[in-house]
Amino acid sequence: MIDPSLPPSPNPPAPPEPPAAAAQPRASAEDASSQALSEALRSSFAIVKFLMAGLVILFVGSRVFTVHPDETAVILRFGRPVGVGSQQYLAPGLHWGLPYPIDEIVRIPVGQSLTIVSTAGWYPTRPEWEATGQLPPAYPYLQPGIDGYTLAADGNIIHARATLKYRILPEQAGQYVFGFASPTNLLQNLLDNSLIYASTRYRADEAIYRDKLAFTERVRERLLELLDHHRLGISVDALDVETSAPLDVRPAFDEVLNAQQVARTRLSEAESYARSATNTAIAQANAIHIDSLTRSNEIVKTMAAEARSFQDQLPHHQANPQLFRQRLLLETMGRVLTNAQEKYFLPQRADGQPRELRLQLNREPQKPVPTR
Amino acid sequence: MENHPRNPVTFVTAGLLLVIFILMLFAFQVRTTEVAVVTTFGRISRSLTEPHLYFRWPWPIQSVYKFDNRVQNFERKFEETTTRDAINLLVTVFAGWKVADPERFLQSLNGDPLKAEQNLEPLIRTAKNGVLGQTLFSELISTNQAELKFNAIESQMLASVQSQARETYGIDVLFLGLKQLGLPQSITTKVFDRMKAERQTRVRQFQTEGERDAQIIRAQADNLTRKTLADARATAIEITGSAEAKASEYYRVLQQNPDLANFLFQRNALEQALKDRATLILDQQTPPFSMMQGTPATSTNPPARR
Repeated sequence: MIDPSLPPSPNPPAPPEPPAAAAQPRASAEDASSQALSEALRSSFAIVKFLMAGLVILFVGSRVFTVHPDETAVILRFGRPVGVGSQQYLAPGLHWGLPYPIDEIVRIPVGQSLTIVSTAGWYPTRPEWEATGQLPPAYPYLQPGIDGYTLAADGNIIHARATLKYRILPEQAGQYVFGFASPTNLLQNLLDNSLIYASTRYRADEAIYRDKLAFTERVRERLLELLDHHRLGISVDALDVETSAPLDVRPAFDEVLNAQQVARTRLSEAESYARSATNTAIAQANAIHIDSLTRSNEIVKTMAAEARSFQDQLPHHQANPQLFRQRLLLETMGRVLTNAQEKYFLPQRADGQPRELRLQLNREPQKPVPTR
Repeated sequence: MENHPRNPVTFVTAGLLLVIFILMLFAFQVRTTEVAVVTTFGRISRSLTEPHLYFRWPWPIQSVYKFDNRVQNFERKFEETTTRDAINLLVTVFAGWKVADPERFLQSLNGDPLKAEQNLEPLIRTAKNGVLGQTLFSELISTNQAELKFNAIESQMLASVQSQARETYGIDVLFLGLKQLGLPQSITTKVFDRMKAERQTRVRQFQTEGERDAQIIRAQADNLTRKTLADARATAIEITGSAEAKASEYYRVLQQNPDLANFLFQRNALEQALKDRATLILDQQTPPFSMMQGTPATSTNPPARR
């Protein structure tokens, strides 16, 4: 390409040979295209370098990670935990590790409450049935492998289900994650084992209702013992144990409960009667005792008073017995007639014959009941 | 030709790539959950049980076999077995095992965990049947806890598996336990019948015992009531008797004139008896109405009422 701004050459150029004259503009054109290509490549390299630098920064930056409040993390450097003992567990916050494959970050959910349910001893059910309290159909037999159950100490069959809520211990989290290929399966097996261990020690009635608390406690004891032995690195938050009679036998269990309840009611009534009767008797005995004391006191005092009165009246009587008696009798009759509610006087018949007296005795009239 | 100056970034990048390539060929990691065996031309040259970065000659000179070193869970479904007293039981066991000898594990099982479990299964089954075959049903399930040998049974099964698994397969069986106990389906029907019959017996027992106990309680209460009242009455009689005895001391005074004493007693008795709501029917013989003797009366008139 010829720049038109350049000054003209003092020597007029020789007329180009026809082929060379044709190659000159072609060469110029190739130079220009090479230059353009070179510039394009140069700019492409710059972009690639920029991208690579970005990738390197991203790669290095990707090793910056956050440990959340409900978890801890362990850095495995060349496969080995960084740090010893509790120092290997990273606290929540921002941390940095070397790029993979040098470092591997293993997160462990130590703060979360995890749940395991042992259903090896429970009848088959569905979540929607559980929600509505619906029970599966009852059959007069149980199919091994389909119907879960366990055996009680008296050889009876019972259903038992345990729900364990647990947390991974922060200071033993590595044992839980790196020590066991499937810690949840192991935990479920230990829970199953604890259930049948306890069930072989309790009668069906005891495990289902009479001593359910002790049964649950036995399951817990066994589980804690196993967890301690296997060093699974967890802590138990809660353990709930449900027990039930086989569905086909449940009505028979209910009848026992009803009969037991009736018997308890009878006993309760009898005890109530006994308490009432005893208390009444004690009250009556006290009343009799007090009454006897009062009466004895009265007898003695009355007799003493009578004696004193007699002593006082004796001289008057001795003076004129007839008059004394008549006076006392009339005084007494006066008081009696004054106090009497009803008095009838029967005058003597004119013919001197005795009167015939007829009395009609009625019940005492009932008192009127006040109306509301 | 023009010599362009080499870019140092290019050198570094190339160097890094070379190092990575060489490391990929010559180095490997053993994770904390793994053990590894290194073979040289197919022959075992070393076992690695500590997690770290190790070096090796590249394939085909050396090969690295890594195995999961964590405790593996083993369990199978219900299997029927018979106790020493010929009771059929369905038992599920679970076990935990891990690679103890990586070289033997590789040689005997080709380092395959699935094969390990397939070979472990008959061992455990034999141990389970052997131990339970020597066990009475009452040693496994009983109301008498002194008879139970639950832990001993599990320990015996574990002991009979451990040595063979270790020597033959390089596997360490760490624990073995019972996961489920059951009965054959036909037996469950009989157990249900027995359970129903037992419950009926309990129902009758509760009914009769409840009635009996209630009657006993009532009878005891009645007896106690009668005894309490009888005691109280006896005491009252004693108290009254002693009072009467004391009162009789005053009779000496009355004996001065018994006729007057009787008269006074009768007067008091009369007054007491007619004190409340009394109805008196009197004739002319009764003083003071005796004063009215001789007064004529008509037969048609009713008795006068005051």
